[in-house]
Amino acid sequence: MLRYVGLFLIATCLAWAPTASTASSPTVVEHALGSTAIHGNPARVVSLYQGATDTAVALGIEPVGVVESWTEKPMYRYLRQDLQEVTYLGLETQPDLERIAWLSPDLIVGARNRHRTIYPLLERIAPTVIPGNVYDFKALLELMAKATGRVARGDELLAQWQARVDDFRARIRRKLGDQWPQEVAILSFRADHARIYYAGFARTVLDELGFAAPADHRKEGWGIKLTSQESIPAMDAEAVFIFMEDDPAVRRTYETWSSHPLWKNLQAVRQADVYHVDPVTWNMGAGIIAANRMLDELYQHYNLEQPDHQECPQC
Amino acid sequence: MLTSLLARTSGTLICLGLLLVAMVSSLAFGHIPVSLDMLVTSLLDYDSGSLEHLVIRTERFSRTVTAMIVGAGLAIAGVLMQTLTRNPLASPGILGINAGAMFFVVVGATLFSLTSPSELVWAAFTGAATAAFLVYFLGQEAGRGISPVRTVLAGVAVTALFVSFAQGLLILNQDRFESILFWLAGSVSGRELDAIAPLLPGFFLALLIALLLSRQLNLLGLDDEVIRGLGLRVGQVRLLIGLVVIVLAGTSVAMAGLIGFVGLIVPHMARGIFGTDHRWLLPLSAILGATLLLAADTVARLVIPPQEIPVGVMTALLGTPLFLHLARHVRKVS
Repeated sequence: MLRYVGLFLIATCLAWAPTASTASSPTVVEHALGSTAIHGNPARVVSLYQGATDTAVALGIEPVGVVESWTEKPMYRYLRQDLQEVTYLGLETQPDLERIAWLSPDLIVGARNRHRTIYPLLERIAPTVIPGNVYDFKALLELMAKATGRVARGDELLAQWQARVDDFRARIRRKLGDQWPQEVAILSFRADHARIYYAGFARTVLDELGFAAPADHRKEGWGIKLTSQESIPAMDAEAVFIFMEDDPAVRRTYETWSSHPLWKNLQAVRQADVYHVDPVTWNMGAGIIAANRMLDELYQHYNLEQPDHQECPQC
Repeated sequence: MLTSLLARTSGTLICLGLLLVAMVSSLAFGHIPVSLDMLVTSLLDYDSGSLEHLVIRTERFSRTVTAMIVGAGLAIAGVLMQTLTRNPLASPGILGINAGAMFFVVVGATLFSLTSPSELVWAAFTGAATAAFLVYFLGQEAGRGISPVRTVLAGVAVTALFVSFAQGLLILNQDRFESILFWLAGSVSGRELDAIAPLLPGFFLALLIALLLSRQLNLLGLDDEVIRGLGLRVGQVRLLIGLVVIVLAGTSVAMAGLIGFVGLIVPHMARGIFGTDHRWLLPLSAILGATLLLAADTVARLVIPPQEIPVGVMTALLGTPLFLHLARHVRKVS
């Protein structure tokens, strides 16, 4: 409670402090929790979730403050070199509001499910935008490009992405023939259970690339957790993508599950269409750079040639 | 309540029958359907090429055994605790044992990066024992032995302490939290018998001691002076029972995580049916506890396949109506 009172005072002071007057009229950005007026081109950006950090870097912004990553702490390796001066604000689930206020940002990007309740406070610190769906990295890119006055850069990134998607779709159709569109499953292993993902960042990208999902995986919700190896057949698909942390307990779970005869009986395993992919890229990054890196991995896994000029623009 | 020997014997046979039904269901039902024939041949004439045989032998057999051991262990620990503290609300959950195991597992997983089941089992067991010792000694009243009220208060305090520490650690290490989620919710699935095997000799020894102490346990309901007058060494018996409780409850929690309710409810169910004579109460509690946990685990995997509901949730769902029915029924008869 005290924390909020303190924060309220700080926020009030900030609100009263004379703001730099800009001649131009403010940009009004519509987002999931309302509309926000933004003056000028914000340079001091605070990112409160992983996808926004990735997108900021793609737009050529080094945020003044970001929340810690979930693994490879404090920040995913693929973003580290672009985030050398950054201030860490704690976890995505509980960012340090006082430190955010001290950074005196001029734009904050949060996530709806995480920061809905603190949105009123964030708004007092700086103009805050909240994208609608955390998995929709393209909408996020457009939103952040508009909010930071980098629409041209945003459009360029989207055009690059679209060109790569078109290229990939054309090549994989040629390669797989009538086996395209392929039904793929997204699996993950944890220390004490396995997961099937029905939705998420990876599925959003795979959908856009034209991959299909097995009928049983087209369901509501993010996915399911499995504890019994008896349910391995529920994982089946024409190809499976597996991501997991590099951790002894996780590896042991994977070894136990993947040595089970039911696992060896899966269609994807029999045809050797099992692809191990990077958990950070597929499940954590959640921005346009991560999407491009995912596409790079897919080009590799399917042995598709990539046009030189088209490689991941940010990697 | 069943009073005559004949009634009790037939009651016991019915309970054993229920246990058998629960065992067979636990082996037969799951994501992959298995016929009864298949079940019998998988046990008698194992064919490693058959998928069904394999599922029964590798997956369902170990969880059936685990559920039975844990159910029986928790139920007997509950009976002993209730008798020892003369408190009908005593159970491993209320006396801090679950919280102690949880705290040690969380510390092990977050600070020492313990990950393998065999390491976590020992962390849980040590935690359960530590909490139980704490509560046992905090619950002593100078010169009077164990005080029921003090014990419950000590249990609540120790639980609060351990749970708050564990929660603090989990909030700081949220990714670790995910990896012990199923242990925290209680689960008998995916247990490798190898990991729990080292705990079993102690467990069965404790079980045997408990059964041998039936007569002494019957006397513990009396006043301390009366007991001493009857020639029983109260202090020593209490200490021994305390140790037995720690081994039984500690092993159960280490094997299956936090499964509430069995230790509280099953003793009352058994007492409602068979009375307070521990020579009947202890074995029947064990049978009923094993049956309840087996049934709960079987239902837990059938509700939303291929997912499973935490078995701790199912024990509460199945146990409560049974318990309420029994409570009403017993009142009507008396």
